[in-house]
Parts: sequence; structure tokens; C-alpha cells
Amino acid sequence: MPIQTPFHPRTSEHNKNLSWKDWGGYFAANSYDVVNDFEYYAFRHSAGLVDITPLFKYKVTGKDASLFLSRLIVKDISKLKLNQATYCCWCDDRGMVIDDGTVMRFGEHEYFVTAADPSYSWFSRFVKKLDVQIEDITDSICALALQGPTSREILKLMCDADLDNLKFFWTTRAKGDGFEFKISRTGYTGDLGYELWIKNEDALKLFDAVWNAGKNFNIRMSGIAALDIARIEAGLVMNGVDYHSSLHALIPEQMSTPYELGLGWTVNLDREPFMGQRALRAEKKNGSRWATVGLDINWPDLEELYNKHGLPPRTAAGAWRQSIPVYHPQHTTKQIGYATSGTWSPILKKNIALATIEIAYAEPGTEVNFEVMVMHHRKTVRAIVGKPQFYNPERKRSILKNKR
Amino acid sequence: MSKKYDAIIIGGGHNGLINAAYLAKAGKSVLVLEKRHVLGGAAVSEEIYPGFTFSVASYVVSLFRPHIIRELNLAEHGYSIIPMDASFQPLPDGDIGLCRWGDASRSRREIARFSKKDSEVYGEFSKIMTHMAKLAKQVIDHPAPDVASINPKELAALLRMGKVFKNLGPELLQMNTKLLTMSSADFLDLWFESEVLKGPMSVSGIIGTFLGVRSPGTAYVLLHHYMGELDGAFRSWGFSKGGTGGVSMACANAARSFGAEIRTNVDVSCVKIKNGKATGVVLANGDEIESKIVVSNLDPNRTYLKMIGENNLSPEVTSEIKRFKLRGSSGKVNFALSGVPNFCRKREGLEFMKGDIAIVPNVDYVEKAYDQAKYGEFSERPYINIVVPSLTDPTLAPPGKHVMSCFVQYAPFNIKEGAENWPKLADKFGDAVQNTIKEYVPDIDSLVEHRQVVTPWDLQERFGLTEGNIFQGELTLEQLLFQRPISGYAKYKTPIDNLWMSGSGTHPGGGIMGSGGELSAKSILNEKAI
Amino acid sequence: MSKYDVIVIGGGHNGLTTATILAKSGKKVLVVEKRKILGGIAAGEEFHPGYFTTGLLHDTSGVRADVIKSLQLEKHGLKLENKRSDVVLLSKDGRSVTIKADADATAGELRKISEQDAEAYKAYQEFSRKISKVINDLMDNPPPNVDVENLTMASLVVLAKKGMLLKGLGNKTMMELLKVAPMCVADFLNEKFKTDFVKAGIASPALYGSYAGPWSAYSTINLLLWECASRSCVKGGPQALISALQKAATQAGVEIRTGAEVEKIVLDEAGAARGVRLKGGEEISAMKVAASCTPKETFLNLFDTFELEYELDYWIEKIRSRGTTAKVNLAVNKKVELNGQAVEFARTGNSLDEMEKAFDPVKYKEVTNSPFLDIHIPTVSNPALAPEGHSVVSVLVHQIPYDFKGGWTVETKKKLGEDVLKTLEIYSSGLSQAVAGMEVLSPADLEDRYTLTHGHIYHGEHFVDQLITRPVPSCAHYTTPVSGLYLCGSGSHPGGGITCAPGSMAAAAILKSS
Repeated sequence: MPIQTPFHPRTSEHNKNLSWKDWGGYFAANSYDVVNDFEYYAFRHSAGLVDITPLFKYKVTGKDASLFLSRLIVKDISKLKLNQATYCCWCDDRGMVIDDGTVMRFGEHEYFVTAADPSYSWFSRFVKKLDVQIEDITDSICALALQGPTSREILKLMCDADLDNLKFFWTTRAKGDGFEFKISRTGYTGDLGYELWIKNEDALKLFDAVWNAGKNFNIRMSGIAALDIARIEAGLVMNGVDYHSSLHALIPEQMSTPYELGLGWTVNLDREPFMGQRALRAEKKNGSRWATVGLDINWPDLEELYNKHGLPPRTAAGAWRQSIPVYHPQHTTKQIGYATSGTWSPILKKNIALATIEIAYAEPGTEVNFEVMVMHHRKTVRAIVGKPQFYNPERKRSILKNKR
Repeated sequence: MSKKYDAIIIGGGHNGLINAAYLAKAGKSVLVLEKRHVLGGAAVSEEIYPGFTFSVASYVVSLFRPHIIRELNLAEHGYSIIPMDASFQPLPDGDIGLCRWGDASRSRREIARFSKKDSEVYGEFSKIMTHMAKLAKQVIDHPAPDVASINPKELAALLRMGKVFKNLGPELLQMNTKLLTMSSADFLDLWFESEVLKGPMSVSGIIGTFLGVRSPGTAYVLLHHYMGELDGAFRSWGFSKGGTGGVSMACANAARSFGAEIRTNVDVSCVKIKNGKATGVVLANGDEIESKIVVSNLDPNRTYLKMIGENNLSPEVTSEIKRFKLRGSSGKVNFALSGVPNFCRKREGLEFMKGDIAIVPNVDYVEKAYDQAKYGEFSERPYINIVVPSLTDPTLAPPGKHVMSCFVQYAPFNIKEGAENWPKLADKFGDAVQNTIKEYVPDIDSLVEHRQVVTPWDLQERFGLTEGNIFQGELTLEQLLFQRPISGYAKYKTPIDNLWMSGSGTHPGGGIMGSGGELSAKSILNEKAI
Repeated sequence: MSKYDVIVIGGGHNGLTTATILAKSGKKVLVVEKRKILGGIAAGEEFHPGYFTTGLLHDTSGVRADVIKSLQLEKHGLKLENKRSDVVLLSKDGRSVTIKADADATAGELRKISEQDAEAYKAYQEFSRKISKVINDLMDNPPPNVDVENLTMASLVVLAKKGMLLKGLGNKTMMELLKVAPMCVADFLNEKFKTDFVKAGIASPALYGSYAGPWSAYSTINLLLWECASRSCVKGGPQALISALQKAATQAGVEIRTGAEVEKIVLDEAGAARGVRLKGGEEISAMKVAASCTPKETFLNLFDTFELEYELDYWIEKIRSRGTTAKVNLAVNKKVELNGQAVEFARTGNSLDEMEKAFDPVKYKEVTNSPFLDIHIPTVSNPALAPEGHSVVSVLVHQIPYDFKGGWTVETKKKLGEDVLKTLEIYSSGLSQAVAGMEVLSPADLEDRYTLTHGHIYHGEHFVDQLITRPVPSCAHYTTPVSGLYLCGSGSHPGGGITCAPGSMAAAAILKSS
């Protein structure tokens, strides 16, 4: 049975829906109410608060910590400045992605790493003679994500941090009323937002401070169902959904490289050796087989199909995560890929999906065919290939000062 | 003149009954003869003390092949398995022990108490084992190809088996060699560091064998845990409703529904052989029953040396069958208890006890138990696999009371004092088990209402398992595949025409799998022997 | 341009074999040896003033005659006999029996003890002779390519040939081989033999270098491998082989540097091995590097973290090399007799159960009080190894764990020496009083002195999964995933012992690739 996060006394109060999911062995609210789109809208219009404690969290310290992480991760972590954070992924020798997460630098020799999967054993096996200590702090540090346009104003009310100057993917220490915590301007919604890290003992103090400060800013508890919609709009891939860790994959076909996942930008190829470098160099040179793209699924086509049955068009409520075939532009029997997750985007009013397709069809603007089920029959509708990122508001990265 | 059957099956154990069911389903006239008053052989439930029903010998169902359940419609005939969720390992000194659950995250947290690394490596290990289990499935679901033969059919079978290896790559191929040859403890050492975790994992490699967890050749049995998942049958471990005999009853009902005739209390003294051909059986009372073929579900030793008899065998075959090692190594102690035996009062509820409970605090513990057995003694502190099936199936005991089944290893058949002296040692053996349990359940003595001790000698005398071997023969590589029971006669045939075999002593071996009975019947039908 | 074509790491018998073969083919070769002397575990050493051993290992019966011939070692003073040395099996009760190279002669000896054992021995040797064609074909050639994904016609032919050879045995012998190979040596011998100490003595070689007792499954295949490979003996023991090899190497133009410890294998930008860096910082470049040290030493100590592909690292770490051998060298101020006779080679064991009981503590990282011994008294044939009238008694002590819980300290080693002496007293009463000097080498000492990972004398246990694809599949053909790096030591096929076979087959692989 999953266990409760330190925020559970509060989250369970809010969870009218009693809808819990198992996330990494913790109870995580799937949605707080039966009608859950307001939880999503909070991310886009005010602020949504998510308990993200179940993320796997590691503290990596020691003289060789920079070198160690730079070798393990496809990004050159040693370049990370103090208090800077970065999104990245790590691979095996074959350049196949094991997991993705964020790395934050909290000191000359101190890093904080988050991961989707348990990673202690994978990281530890490379320590060997290096001066590196890895501490699994998953169960001692808890976290809240506060995401949405009003998140900055809320935080400013409850802590002393200079949030106006805190840039996208930077971190800062902060003090609230009787507790200390860390803030990173990071998140999984593609919007302005922050993640707050604190030791378990002070969990409720932090929660209450944020909640009270947020009352005038329409703060809402958001579950992972709402988070899923937001992250698909933002084009953020998810381990176990849009790709499979090469450590768990049984056959090579289930694995993906960073380039194939659209994470090529996280790879720093030309530097000291790192895990997967040789394979990734070769892929860079020879080209990838697959690409991860965003699909803009033609709405009129879908309306038309439903029309034939005299029905209004329908989409799944919320985000979906099953594999759906994507077909060749002309030949609707020739499969060229598959969508891995998708959603009706409430803000874009579009039916969108993240898909893995053969590289030949990955050019933005290519029209492919997407399978839909209409009245128990398999049909196809047209879909336009584009970048995975559908929604990218300026406020996500902007700094207040610059605006002034 | 009595009726002449197509097939007579000697022994109403689950394999014999399955064999009968398949043959009957194909329209053959089949007669099953069981010596005891109950069916099921080692898979039997008996009310030993009023109100308490014991799975006297075999106690959990694990590897029963799902296609047999489908093909024989066993569910309709009463086959019902209560799945087991937890696997608990109590530890001495008041520790809360280690419980592995179906819930992966929960297990990860339990294991992380002993080793963070191990808790995560578990997944990696499972991945490799899944690859290996794919191979094993090929092996256990088909008759073993004969490597000595140049018959194209045999070569094709070998090739088919070879194909599975094709996508493995050299490293996984070598892993396969490791798995087939290494000791279970050494194999686990390649991944895990925690003795507490390795203890219960490694013992699955030695159950029923006269080998230790550090004995080479025990690792491959670890696969059994991963086989179930390949069949789409997660939670393949479980209790049969009403005791293990329930499985046998379902098989018997299926056989009867297809028209098979089953008689109990019929002691077969030998197979009737005329001109090198089996023509029926001779009963202990002198009666004879005729049939086109005879299928022996007895162990190889009994089949060859008793049912056929040395005078009908060539000296080579006789010497080969005498080389066949049985060497029983385990016993059972069944308890009738006045209350719940709580193995860990520090844990909430009783969920952790509804699966199996393994007394094996670490690897050395069970290896030391083996060391003692090697020199002809039963282990003073044995490995005990305990189930309290009445926690999940209350029909087995009076209200509030419980049955506790303890599988105990090592109890070598060939004890220093001589096997025939086992009855004299039974109480001492029972005490050793009870005292071991007392270290975890301090009030056990006051809970015991009755205690049934089943020594390896009893297994031989009562269930006809030569030397008390629960698998009808050691599961060492030289006695598996095309060499089970002996090379040349590994495809359920014997040197006597029309005499077939179907028990655990044939490929693929022991456990309540049903494969022996099924594959044997299918071979008989394929060859149009009847 | 590099000064050398090949640098060979380690100047033991395999390293020297590789180097000499390469030099003879015109390659410029440098051997770097960590110790001051050449020879590794084959080196004879002065362990007490005036007393010398002829090598850590005693047995030279596996040395490959064809390698000796091709290196013309006999020109350099080597005397090779095409039969193995006599070994005396000792019993606690004073009896002993000599196992001779000739099966009939041995049967004659055994007949004095038991008619059944005499016949059993003849049958056993006959069986070994029959299967030796198959086994030696496997062990004297590079391992067959079993890469099923890339089956080439050539490898298919090789495989077919192996299969045919297997068939050539005749069905009966083949089935018997398949039957007995996985068995434990105790079952195998109990089926035929009667006398306890004879069974124990015959079983001994099955357990050398393997983490096993006589009741361990698959020990029979080790015994059969040993029987089939034991065909020769080098007069003067391992050290004589080294002396001849050194001369041959020098004559062929091999450069040898002793006292040169390799700290790291140097890689070029593309990740290929291009030389070595010595302790002290000196770098020597070469086109290729051949490592005769253990695979674990090569990959885990001579590379930096992250330099190796993870996959390789992963499999190398999984090699099992749990040392179970110690050495006790005794300087004795008299001629030594065992059970009343002067013998050069002897084994103790007494019974399979006693040998098993010696193995039991190993599993718990403990040390037995009654180890079984492999005794060599080289002064019997070469009195010059000790002062006039004195003896050297060189003892390989089996079932002594590397990872001893008590730790290998001066005290624990002293205890081990005393236990060995106590055991020897049984066969040679009064020996203790005549001991003038004693050297005890624990498995940890063997690791220190000879760079044997975990003190394993064969660079990795001899066990089914670690044979043929030895040490790991990706390095099984002496090449490695690191371009330019080759393995040429006992960690490679066909394994450990003084055979020179890995060294010679590695040299062939290196030549083939250039």
C-alpha cells in the first residue's frame, strides 16, 4: 500500500473526490474534485498547488561531484553555476535514455538531483574510487509545486526571497515564518511556476503559509490529472509514458535516445567522455530513426466523423496515455508511428498529442493520419506534425524587472 | 473376463489424473488405479484431526500450467486458487522482518531497510529473469528433444529451442549458462548485497533437493518465480481452496467428466508384460486388468524396478535406473493450533502472514542447515516454509482455530541412523521444528493442539515416493531434460512397449505443474499408441 | 610512431609466451613486469636463506607441448616429458598409493589396496582417454564462436565439427559424458571407487581454483578437464619453464623491464589502447597492449572510472574469483619422507567427506583446521634447491578463503602454518622439529605479491560459465571492446595453471588482427 506524504493531512482534507493514485509508492491525488478542469485552469489563470513529494530526490556531494554528474548525464553539469538548475536526461552506453530530471547546484560540491525512477543504485555503481557521496533524500525532503501566473505574488507574500529577480531555472534559499526552504523556478506545466523543497518536519508550516498567502489569488489544489494536461501542452515527455527507461526495457525497440525524444538540446556532445557519448555522436552524424513530435489533430475531421452518426464530437475527458497508431499521410494502412499521450487542450481548444514517428515524417507541417474511435469503429483523421511544445507563454521565462 | 481398457493409469496423483483426463477427452477408455483411499498422491488434503484439514504433503500451488486449466476446463470442475500476496520472513531479535508484497513500491521500501541498492536492483534482476523465463517456458512446455538423435524431427525440436536463444545476444546467453549452472546464492550475489533478502530468495532454488543454496546447479529454480508472469498469470502462487487436494479433485472430476473411470484402494503389484509388451496390470490380490497401454505415474525407481522388474530389463537400463538419484531431503510438520501463531506482533494486522512465511534469516543459516544434512543428520535449525492457509480459507479449521503447514528442509532420507529409524526420530524432528518456530512465536507451545510429523520415511511409505523425494527424483542437470529419468527413455516411454510414464520423474520434473501428465498424454496421442 | 608494436603487461609464463611469439613474428615487443623477477606464479623463489621453491604452483602437467615446440624452448635448456609426474596419494592410516602416468601401472598399485579401485581406475582412465579428443580439441583451440546472432559459414563449420567430434565419441560415451559432466565429483567417484583416500586423492584436482567441495555439482567436469589436459611435465618445474622462456624471449628480441608497475592503460582520443603509464609517471606508447594480469585487474584498476563502457564494466565485475588457496613453504633440515617414502608430489584428503568438511567453513569466510594439501618436495629431484641433505617442502593449501572473517594477520597466518604442519606431521612424524624456516602466504598475500585479484591462482574460477567464453563473452577471443587491448593471461580461454595456452592463442589473435 502506498504511504502518505508529509502534506497528506492537508491534501486529504482538500481531496473531496477521494481519488488517489500510487505515484512512486506515495498516495498522490489524481484530482481533488469530480469536475477537475478548474485544477488545470489554475495553472493557466491563477495558481495550482501540487504535492510533488513522490519525485525521487538525491543529494550528491563530494570533491568529484561535478565530474561524476557530468560523466553520468548527457549535459555538462560542471558548467552549472551556483544556484542554477537544469533539466537533463541520462543514458546508458548505447545512448538510450534511462531517466530525465532536474539537477540543481547548491554548492561548489553539492548537487540536488530529481528523477522519475529510483536511481540510487544506478548512480552509486559509478562512484567507485571517486570522492562522491550519494544520499537518497526522497523520504526526508518533501516538495510542493506552485504553478501559474499568480504564483510569484503568492510566494512573495509568504517568504523573504527575491523572486522578482529569480530567473527561469534558478534557485534560491527562502525563509518563511519559522521555517526555511528552497525555491527553484522550475515546473512541469510550461507556465510561470516554482517548486518548493523543504524537510519533512516543516511540511505543514510551508503548506499553510502558501495556502494562506494564496487565498486572495485563487490558489487551488491541483492533482496529477490536471498536471498531465498542462505538461502535454508544454510538450514535456514523461518517463514510463512517452518513453521507457532503457533499464526496464526488455527489447531495444522499447528504448529511445535523447535525440529521438526531442531532448537533443540537453546533450553536450563535445567534451570529456560521458555515458552514451560514442553512440550519441554516431547518431548525431548518421541521423536518428525516430522523432518525438506534437500532433495537432484536425478537429473538423473529427466533427465530420461524428456528424455522420448524428453525434456531436467527443474527446476523452482529460489527458490520455494509451498508445494510438499514427499512419502515413496517404496510406492509412501504413503505420509510421504512435502517439503516446494526448489531451484536449482547454486553452488552445485543440486536440493534441505527443507522438513518436519515423524521422521522414517529422518535418513540421507534415500532414499525417491519426486513428480515432468513432461509434466503435476505427477511423482516421488528419493531424499536422509540429514541435511537441504547443503552449509556451512568455511569463514562463520572463523576469519582472526587465518588463519594467 | 473384465473389460479391456485403452489405458490404465497407475497412481491417482495429479499428473496421473491429468493424463487420464487428456486421454479420456480424446475418446479413449481410461482406468485410473490409486492405492490409497484418497486421490491426489502428494497433492492431497486430509482431515487428520477432527475439524482440521491438512494439505498433508504438497502445500502451495505455483507452477500449475495455465493451459492445462484452460484445456481441461478445470475451473468448472472446482479448481480454485486463493492467491498469496505476501511473502514474509521473520527475523530473530525483535526485528520486524522482511515482507515482500505484490505492491512493488511497498516491497522496495521493505527491502530498502536492509539495502537501498538491493531495493532498486530488484527491477533489473527481474528484467534479466524475464528473458531467461522465456527460454524456460519453451523447455517445460514441450517434451525434451533427444540430443543423441539425428532424427529430423528431434533436430527440428532442438532448432526450435535454439531459436529462442537467437535474440539474446552473447551476454544474455552467458547469463543463461550462469543461471543453469551456478548456485542460487552465488547467482544472487551477482546483484544483491543484503543477506536478509538473499536468504528467502535463494531457498527457492533448493526446495525438495538434496542441495544447498551454495550448491552449483540450484540457480535455475529461481526462474519459477518469473514463469507465472509470462503466462499472463500474475500471482501464480496460491492456496488451493480446501487444501491442495482440491487441485487433484478438480483433475479427477475433469477426468470423470470425460468418461475416465477412477478406482481407489486398488494396489497394483506389477505391470503385466508379454513379449516385451505391457498388456495390463496385475493387482496385489492377484486380479489382472487388461489394457492397450499402461501409464505409470509412479517414480522412476518404482516404475522400473517394481512395476517392470529387473528380470524384464537389460542390465544397462537397470544400472542406469539405479544411478537415478532420489535422496529425499525434506519433511512436513503440520500443526493444529488453538489460535493464530503470530510471527511478528510489531506488524499491524495479519496480512503479512497470509502468504508464505520463510524461516531463513540469512544465506548462511540455510547453508549451515544443509551442512548438517550432508553428514546424515536432520537440521537442528532448519529452513521452514510455513503457511497458515486457514487465515485465508477458514473452512480448513474450526472457528478461531488454525492449521499451520510447515515444509521443513533438511530432513535427509538417508539419515546416519538408517532411514528405517526415521519413525523413532520423528518426535525429535518435530521438536526441532517447533523449537525453531518458538524463536519467532514464543507462545507456540501453548497453541499446539495436535502435531503431525511427516518424515521422508513417511513420504516413502505413505505416498510411495521412493526415498521421500517430493519431486520423484533429484532436479540436478544430469537428471533433467533428455536425461529424465534416463537417457533414451526421456520421452515418457520405457523399454517396455506400451508402458508409458507421466509423473514428476519425467520431464520437466516436480511441483504441482501438471506438465508430466499433460505432455505424456499428448505424446501417447501423437504417436497413436492407442 | 610508437617505439613498440606491443607492450605486454606482466612477465609470467603467459606474458612471456605472448611476447616471444610476437617477437618471433617480427614485432617489437616490450614486457613490463611489476616485480623484480620474472615468472609470476611460475617463478621459483628463495623463501628462506638457501632454500628455493620452483614456483607458486607445482603442477606443469598441463603445459602445451606444441607451444614449447614452436618456441623451441628445448634449445634453451627445457626438458619436457610427454607424461605427467607420479603423484602419491596419502592416507592418514599410513597407507599410500602412487598414481602413475600409465593407467595399467597405476591399476597395479591400486590392486594392493582394492581390486575394485584398480578396475575402476582403468575404466576411468579409458573414459578420459576417449573423451580427451573432444575436450582437448575444445581447450587447445580458441573458443568456438557462439555468437548466434552473427553465425557465419565459417563458425558454422567449426560448430559442426565440434558436434561431429562429440558424435564421434559414439552415442554411449557421449551420453555418459553428458550424464557425468554436471555431477559432483563425489557422486561420480562413489559410483565406481571404494577406498576413501583414493577417491579423495583423485578428486583433488577438480577442486583446485574452484569455489567448491567434492559435493558441489559440476566438479566432475573440472576433474575431466584436468585429466585430459595433464599430458606432460617440465623437468625442474615451473621455474625451469620461465628460465627457458626468458632466454627465448631475449633471443627473439623482446625487451623486458622488471620493477615496472603499470598504473594505467593509456588510451588515445578514439578510446583505443596506445600504451601504458608506469607508476612514477613514465608513459610508454605502443600500437597495442596485451595484458596478462587478471581481467579484473586489467579493467577495474588500469582504467579510470567512466573510461570503460558500462556494459563491459558490468560483466567484468560479475566474474567470480574467490581465492581459496594458500601457500606454505617449509625449509627442512633433513630429508623428508611421507608415509615412509621419499616422494616429490603428494596429495592428502583422506575422504570426500573430510574434503567437504574442509570446504564448509570457506562458505562462512572461516578457515578449516584440517585443510587438504597438495605437497611438492622439489629437493627430491633437485637437491640443489636446499643446503646439502635438506629439503624444501612446498605446500599448496586448499580451501583457505581470501575473505577470511578474522582477517589475514601475522597471527592468523601463524595459525595456518601450524595447522599445515600438524597435518603434515600425520604423514611425516617429527617434521616440525626439523623445520628451519617457514613462509606462509595467505590468499591476500598472493594478491599482493602476484597481483592476483582476490588471490585467485587461476585469474577467475574454473566453472562452467567461466570457461569457453572466458573471461566474459565480449573478451572471449583475446580481443576486447577496447580497440588495441588484448588479454593474454589465465583469465582467458582455456584458463589457469601453467599451460602457456592463453598466451600462445592470444599471440595468434594479435597477429591475426594486424
